[in-house]
Amino acid sequence: MASRDVVTYETPLTKLIRVLSVVFLALYLVWTLLPFFIMFISSFKDLLAAFKLPAVGDWSDIGVFFDFTPTLKHYRSLFEDNAFGTYTMNSLIAAGGSAVISVIFGSLAAYSLSRVNFRGKSDLFFWIISTRMAPVVAVMVPLYSIFRSLDLVGTLPGLILAYTTFNLPFAIWILKGFFDNVPYAIEEAQMVDGATRFQAFRSILPLVAPGIGAFIVLCILFAWNDFLFAAIIGSGGAKTLPVATRELVQPQNIQWGAIMAAGVITTLPMMALGLVIRKYLVTGLTMGAVKE
Amino acid sequence: MTDLTEKSPALQDVAAKLFRARSHSIEVEARPRTEVLEKPLTFNPPAPKRYYFYLMAPAIAVLAFISLYPFFWLIFLSLQDVDIGGGEWVGFDNYIRLFSDSRFINGWTLLLKYSVICLTLQLSIGVLLAVVVNNSRYERFLVTALLMPMMMAPAVAGLLWLFLYNGTFGWYHWLMQSVGILDSASILARADTALLAVIIVDVWQWTPLITLIALAGLKRVPRDQLEANMVDGASPMRNFFSITLPNLYPVLLIAVLLRFMDNFRFIDSLLVLTGGGPGSATKILPVYLFEVAFKFFKLGRGAAIALTLLLVTIILGKILVRVFENPKAGRS
Repeated sequence: MASRDVVTYETPLTKLIRVLSVVFLALYLVWTLLPFFIMFISSFKDLLAAFKLPAVGDWSDIGVFFDFTPTLKHYRSLFEDNAFGTYTMNSLIAAGGSAVISVIFGSLAAYSLSRVNFRGKSDLFFWIISTRMAPVVAVMVPLYSIFRSLDLVGTLPGLILAYTTFNLPFAIWILKGFFDNVPYAIEEAQMVDGATRFQAFRSILPLVAPGIGAFIVLCILFAWNDFLFAAIIGSGGAKTLPVATRELVQPQNIQWGAIMAAGVITTLPMMALGLVIRKYLVTGLTMGAVKE
Repeated sequence: MTDLTEKSPALQDVAAKLFRARSHSIEVEARPRTEVLEKPLTFNPPAPKRYYFYLMAPAIAVLAFISLYPFFWLIFLSLQDVDIGGGEWVGFDNYIRLFSDSRFINGWTLLLKYSVICLTLQLSIGVLLAVVVNNSRYERFLVTALLMPMMMAPAVAGLLWLFLYNGTFGWYHWLMQSVGILDSASILARADTALLAVIIVDVWQWTPLITLIALAGLKRVPRDQLEANMVDGASPMRNFFSITLPNLYPVLLIAVLLRFMDNFRFIDSLLVLTGGGPGSATKILPVYLFEVAFKFFKLGRGAAIALTLLLVTIILGKILVRVFENPKAGRS
C-alpha cells in the first residue's frame, strides 16, 4: 500500500457522503443550466409551440417540450421589424466607450496611487471605492437631475459617462493591485539606461497588460449587463439591449419567442467573453478580494 | 612597559592612535550589513509627488464630476420639493416626512428580510457546493458551468424567470403545480410567495459567486493541519467544522459583505419580475426609491431616501475596506 493511501478509508458513511455529493452536484447543475436550455430552445419555437405544456401532473407528456419545428423567425424579426441592430451597436459603444475611458484613466491613477504616498491617501481611496459601491438608484437621482440640465439624457455620451461612475473606480481599485506587484526597481533600471519617466512607465505596461486586457473585458461586461442606467439615462436615444428586450414585454401581447431570442443575443457574447477572461473573473467579481 | 610610556610622550601618542584605530575597526566590522543594503544608492528616486498627481488628475477630475458633484447635488436636492418644473426650498421637510411614511419603513424591513434570506440560502448552498466541487475530478468543467448565470444581465435573467414562472405556459410553474406546492395562480401573483420567487432568482444567479469565493478559500486551508487532526483521530466531519470552516471565515465575510451591498445596488431582476408588486409585497427600499424618483418624479423626496440608503452603504463599505486591508483576509 502506498503511503498516500493510508488516510483514505471507506466506511459506509463516507460512501454515502460520496453518493450524496454526486447527486447534489448533478441536481445543482440541472438547476443552474436548465433555464439557459429552456431559453435557448424556446427562442427557436413558434408561438403556438412555445405555449404547449403538458397537463398538470402529467409527467409522461413532458416530451412536448421538444415537439416543434425550429424557426429562426424570432431572430429575423428582431433585426428586421425591430431595430436590434442599432441597439446592439448602442450597447457596444456605451459599454466599450466607458471601458476604454475607465481603463486608460484608471491605469494612470492606479499606477500613481501605487507609487506615491501622501496624507489622506486612504481617504481618497475610500472615496473612490465607495463610488463603486453606491446603490445604482441612489446615484441615479442626482445624476439624472444633472444630466437633464446638460442635455445628456438619452444620448450615448451620457450613458458612457454614467457607466464610468462604476467602471472607473473599479478599474482604479483593481489595477492598483496589479501595479503594486511590479517592483519599482524595473522602472529604475530603465531610467539608468536613459529612459524618461514616461518611457519607464510604458516599459512596465507589458507586465500588467494581461490584467488590463481582462479588466477592459470585465468593464464591458458590467456595462453591457446594466439595465437601470440604460432605462433612465439612456431612455429615448440610447436604447441598449437589456432595455430593448424588456420593452418586448407588453401588457396585451408578450412576444415570448422574441424575448427569448433577444435574451440569447444579449447573453451569448458575454458568456464567450467570460470564458476568455475566466482566470481573472473571480478576482474581478470580488473586487480583488479573492485571488484564484 | 608602563615606565616606557610614561617616559616617552611620543610612544604614548602611538599607543593612543593604535587604540583608536582598533576600536574604529571594531566599529566598522560591527556595523550590520543590512543597514547598507536597505538603502541602496538611488540614482533615480521616485518622481516628485507633483508628477504622480498629474497622472492622477484626469481620473480624479472625472470622478469628481460624476461622483462628488452629484453627491452634494443629492444633499441639495433632498432639501427641496423638486418636480419636473422646478424646485422649492423646504428644508428638512423631506426627512421628517420619511418617519411617517409606512412604505419607506416597509421598504427597509423588506430589504433586510430579502437580503438576509438571500444570504442565508446562498451561503449554505454555496459553501456546501464549494466543498463538493473541490473534491470533484471535474472541477474545471463545473466551475465553468457555475460561471454562466453570473454572465447574464440581471434584467434578462428576470425576463427569463418571468417566462419560467408564467401562470399559463411557464415550465417551472407547471413543475411546481405538478409537485403540488402551488395552485393555479403564478408564484409571482401572490403576495405571500412573490418575495420567495424573487429570492429564488437571486439565489440562482449569485450562489455560484459564493461558491467560487469559498472554493478559493478552500484551496488555502493548510493541509498539514487537516492531516495532523486526522492522525489525532478526528472524523472528516469534525475536520470540516474545526479546521476548514474557521479557515474560510475571512473570505466568507468578504463574500457576505459583497453580496449584501449588491442586494442594495442591483434591483434589475426584481424590477422586471414584479416591479415591487403585488401590492408592495416585494417593494424593497431601492425599488420604492425608483418609484418615487422615476415614476412620480419626486426627486426631492427620492434624494432623501437615497441618502439614507447611501449612509448604510457607506458604513458597510467602511467595514468591507477594513476587512480587505486585514492581511489575514483574502489575499494569499
